[in-house]
Amino acid sequence: MSRFPHRFPIVITQARSWVVCLAFFGVYAALLAEEEKVSFNHDIRPIMSDTCFQCHGPDPNTREGDLRLDTYEGATEDRGGYAALIPGDTDESELIWRIFTDDEADIMPPVEHFRRLTEEEKDLFRRWVEQGGEYEDHWAFIAPAKNAAPESAESKWGRNEIDTFVLEKLEDAGLSPAPEASQETLIRRLSLDLTGLPPTLDEVDAFVSDGSDAAYEDLVDRLLASPRYGERMVWEWLDAARYSDSNGYQNDDERGMWPWRDWAVDALNANMPYDQFSIEQIAGDLLPNATQDQVLATAFLRNHMINGEGGRLPEENRIDYLVDQVDTVSTIWMGLTFGCARCHDHKYDPITQREYFQLMAFFDKTEVTGSGRNPHTPPVLDLSTEEHARGVEEREQLKIAAAEELDRVERILFPRPEGELTIESERAKSITNGAVQGLFKQKVIDRRPEPLVAIIAEYGDSEPEYVEATRKYIKAYQNLDIYKNERPIVMVMADTVERDTFILNNGLYDQPTEKVVTGFPAALNGGDSNIGDWNRLDLARWLMSDAHPLAARVAVNRYWQQFFGRGLLEQVENFGVQSKPPVYESLLDWLAVEFRESGWDVKALHKRIVMSATYRQSSRISEAMRERDPANELLARGPRFRMQSWMLRDQALALGGLLNETIGGPPVKPYQPEGIWKEASFGFITYEQDKGEDLYRRSLYTFWRRIVGPPVFFDSTARQVCEVKALRTNTPLHALTTLNDVTFTEAARGFAQRVLSGDETSDGRRLQMAFREATARLPNRTERRTLEKALTKYRSHFRSDRAAAEKLVSVGESRRDTSLDVSEHAAWSTVCLMLLNLDETLTKE
Amino acid sequence: MDPIVDAKRQFTRREFFGKTAQGIGAVALASLLDGKSFAQNVANPSVLPHFAPKAKRVIYLLQNGAPSHVDLFDYKPMLAKLRGEPVPDSVLGGKRFSSMTNTKDKLLLPNITEFAQYGANGMWLGSFLPHTQGIVDELCFVRSMHTTSVNHAPGINYFLSGAEIPGRPSMGAWLSYGLGSEAEDLPAFVAMTSRDKEASCGQIFYDFYWGSGFLPTKYQGVKFRGSGDPVLYLSNPDGVSRELRRSMLDDLAKLNEEKLKDYGDPEIATRISQYEMAYKMQVSVPELTDFSNESEETLAMYGPDVHREGSYGYNCLMARRLVERGTRFVQLMHAGWDQHNNLNRQLEIQCLDTDQPSAALITDLKQRGLLDETLVIWGGEFGRTPFLQGEFDNYARWGRDHHPYGFTVWMAGGGVKPGYVHGATDDFGFNAVEKPVHVHDFQATILHLLGIDHERFTYKFQGRNYRLTDVHGHVVDDILA
Repeated sequence: MSRFPHRFPIVITQARSWVVCLAFFGVYAALLAEEEKVSFNHDIRPIMSDTCFQCHGPDPNTREGDLRLDTYEGATEDRGGYAALIPGDTDESELIWRIFTDDEADIMPPVEHFRRLTEEEKDLFRRWVEQGGEYEDHWAFIAPAKNAAPESAESKWGRNEIDTFVLEKLEDAGLSPAPEASQETLIRRLSLDLTGLPPTLDEVDAFVSDGSDAAYEDLVDRLLASPRYGERMVWEWLDAARYSDSNGYQNDDERGMWPWRDWAVDALNANMPYDQFSIEQIAGDLLPNATQDQVLATAFLRNHMINGEGGRLPEENRIDYLVDQVDTVSTIWMGLTFGCARCHDHKYDPITQREYFQLMAFFDKTEVTGSGRNPHTPPVLDLSTEEHARGVEEREQLKIAAAEELDRVERILFPRPEGELTIESERAKSITNGAVQGLFKQKVIDRRPEPLVAIIAEYGDSEPEYVEATRKYIKAYQNLDIYKNERPIVMVMADTVERDTFILNNGLYDQPTEKVVTGFPAALNGGDSNIGDWNRLDLARWLMSDAHPLAARVAVNRYWQQFFGRGLLEQVENFGVQSKPPVYESLLDWLAVEFRESGWDVKALHKRIVMSATYRQSSRISEAMRERDPANELLARGPRFRMQSWMLRDQALALGGLLNETIGGPPVKPYQPEGIWKEASFGFITYEQDKGEDLYRRSLYTFWRRIVGPPVFFDSTARQVCEVKALRTNTPLHALTTLNDVTFTEAARGFAQRVLSGDETSDGRRLQMAFREATARLPNRTERRTLEKALTKYRSHFRSDRAAAEKLVSVGESRRDTSLDVSEHAAWSTVCLMLLNLDETLTKE
Repeated sequence: MDPIVDAKRQFTRREFFGKTAQGIGAVALASLLDGKSFAQNVANPSVLPHFAPKAKRVIYLLQNGAPSHVDLFDYKPMLAKLRGEPVPDSVLGGKRFSSMTNTKDKLLLPNITEFAQYGANGMWLGSFLPHTQGIVDELCFVRSMHTTSVNHAPGINYFLSGAEIPGRPSMGAWLSYGLGSEAEDLPAFVAMTSRDKEASCGQIFYDFYWGSGFLPTKYQGVKFRGSGDPVLYLSNPDGVSRELRRSMLDDLAKLNEEKLKDYGDPEIATRISQYEMAYKMQVSVPELTDFSNESEETLAMYGPDVHREGSYGYNCLMARRLVERGTRFVQLMHAGWDQHNNLNRQLEIQCLDTDQPSAALITDLKQRGLLDETLVIWGGEFGRTPFLQGEFDNYARWGRDHHPYGFTVWMAGGGVKPGYVHGATDDFGFNAVEKPVHVHDFQATILHLLGIDHERFTYKFQGRNYRLTDVHGHVVDDILA
């Protein structure tokens, strides 16, 4: 039986609610006159969404008591002499009684619901009803308006519109902005934010000595124009686009999607307008006279995992891939959790299951069937060159040679007549190992390398020559495979198939129900139902159109997160009703409209952010603010947070004088602890570390194996599904990485070598230089003393243990300046490793 | 004189653990850093556990690849009687299988091992498990497990995270998030993997099996490796002694404290303890993996593989040593159970690798008084078909396909009934017909044993309150001791 219509005699109800109200009346009567207006969007809906909508929300299938509270009409509907909400009347509004009652049979949310309302929340409801019980449309579903930036009394502080929004809020809260950060802090902050690399000492000196406002803007312009800018900005995009150099899942075949990564870097560097950037990636292939680059852009949609597990049903895969595309596009451009509507109508947001599959229909027109594990599953764009083709041919020959050798050795062990398979030999008859039997039924050259592991296991102890030949064959086969797969044959989009798309019952691939056509979600389309015979280009254009309220907001918010560590809307992945609206809603909207009106000019947006006084604040935290606003929601100070692990690696390479600035190209394989791929792949895939300069490329070029990502990039997304939220935790494992990994140790000795080979000759000056390299600022007296004492200690230690010194300065493959004294170099390397691990060095301040 | 060796004299290990550098005080590594974890995002009431737990920790012996229940645990004489006959339609009921047998004949294959009864309650067990036979009175069998997935990775993920597709937190991550660690200097959640000696197949171990999904990454399982440093980057660089490291960390802490004074960012304080913890781990992990203080008797009990790093036997002993030191959740995965076409030989090999260490772990925990509060789980991601994959006349190539509709797992210790069998499959070992237990029920029960109400243990992500059990699951009261 549904709860709601079941109602006790009205007299009792009123009596109870009267008692409740009396209790509150005493407390609030005095305040009533000046009581703040309760906002439905900010105060009421988040609570309702959390506690009511599961049973009284948009999904009719799980609606209880035929009551919906997510709409005003539903809440005020006459239910036979009473209603859940009677605006202005707390006594007669059933919902007020229901939330204040102690009666376990009637209380809402019901006793079995995991959530209880707090007294404050109940009181919000009471005041809201009292004040008229108005509903507002969900802020994020209404087109953003560019309300005039507020005028501020104290206009001296602000530098641009961002600041007037912030200052207004701070003044309301009785706060003032933090002072501007030091010049040293600012240049380091800017350099890391815009290029992902620390400033050089020369750059710091020039900037600090100038000190003018113009110098700041010049610096910003210079950094925005640097090719390092695109390399830095692309990282979050690669995370969102689940970019990887392998398929994922079993076998985890390598793929050659890297030209798309380079496309994205180039687009960011060229400041391609965000609408074009978006449209080309969703539907570049459908643009009139599409260029090769525009087709390449659509590899974005094909970056999903491919599941080649034996026995996997193709249709199940196919649906998985489509689901991934829907989730990725809806997260990045709509900031909504569309995935919730795969199995049923969304519980909180006005998205129906039908709309989910209408969206899926846009992607459902390619020839992809879900079968197999080919990392070049068509449609593809073949960008491989003749050189690649020659490389394949060479490796093909090597494989044939290895197979012939293996065949020769096998014949000695398993003699049989020419032309017969190994299984026919007398000795093979006694074999019980099924895997080995299976292999012996194939010619050597036809054998796949994976099952050959069984031969190694079976004959590892007894037949070394045979095992060796097998290993060589496996190696040759893999070399061929990897090379072939890594060729830039890029999976892209092409609509070549007429296919009907169906609503899937419970989202299950094998339970199609009703056929659907393409369509946009009505709630984001001004409430209009909008279906038609469209394609991805229509979708892309609609997403970027004025009609769609979210694309600009979501993008601006993600970028804000990059600079400030958290979005203006903290839940960067969810603009739906379950997320509490941002404190700076109007700022977000203003920036969103401005972004769109600027022609989606990304660099202009970034410039606006970093030019603001808000961004330039010091990130020092006072005791009071630490308690008042630990997360810095109000923006009364500058951002301060640990840099991403990839940026830490790049910084170390730069400080160590090792960084190789080559842009683009196939992924590289820098240092990685031994055995990681091997262990993850059952010994099948070995990490072949690169040599020389390739060890020092920027982190974004590191080969990303999806089943086990590069371990040095702790706190990274898994690149398995679309992820947009910044990850930031602290564990001892992170400290072990930056203390012990070869990358950091080698960088430390390179750093030390730079210090020792520089112009400075005294310990004091050298320490000062090293400290400045790491932090951009001068050490204070205590820090200087600590460093000096440390150096003296380390020096003395390594003088008495030259053998240890020799080892430390030999870590990594880069060449050492042998004219440096070993003990001295080791002592300085220790200082530099410490500096690389300094909190301030690890932090963007 | 070497000042660093000199300083060492003032810093014995014991002293260090009593007094960490620079007055930070002893901080537990609990849940890697934050002390006893407090599930801040858990909806109110947020205090865990919700009620008195029976089990404090879990060892999950996950048999990756899906062991054949009809050959090991679920004795069905009917299979021998109807050998070679097709599975009756009434049983089959249009169910789907993997693409390997989906469209083929489904002919019944009898159990390939000899079954007999063991223990006080006459428990049926196959002959490949001689050591399990010896501890059968400690075990609680669930013979009516069923699941939704017919493929390995999704199936394993379903058991571990409640969803087939990666992206949700693994059970161990949920628990380290909700309950934290009792370990002073070891992670709350540890994963270890091993594989069959014959390397017959390759269901690889994806890192999302111990991933934290949408929970903060510090809750993800720490993967202990089978070779080299058990924990990545544990060893100092060449040429850096422990004393030098100590000395450098002291200097580093001084510099960081100076910054903390100036900037007031609590993150700096966290950083200081983070580095101290890293230093502690560099001692505690090698100590953990040093078996030299284990008795000959104990080592012998785990079998000959116990000395081989990365073997199932080695990992089982590691599991005991971990829970002994307070690790909350040990996830031990062993691959090689996927017998599509080499059932006779491979199943036996798998059992040889795992039977003795699994039994030894139970016995060892019991002897040390740890079994009462440690829940041990043994099971795969599904079972194997009671029908043959392959041809009857090719004995060496017999196999069984994936089978999600009924299979067996066992549990021991931590509040489950010992010597008990729950539920049953039909006469063919095909469908779970008596008291079926779904994966979400299984998860709800595990959480219950740990004092957690699975419906109230949630984490808000993308605006939704997620649970390990999704929106399903009922505690299986029958198996509670």
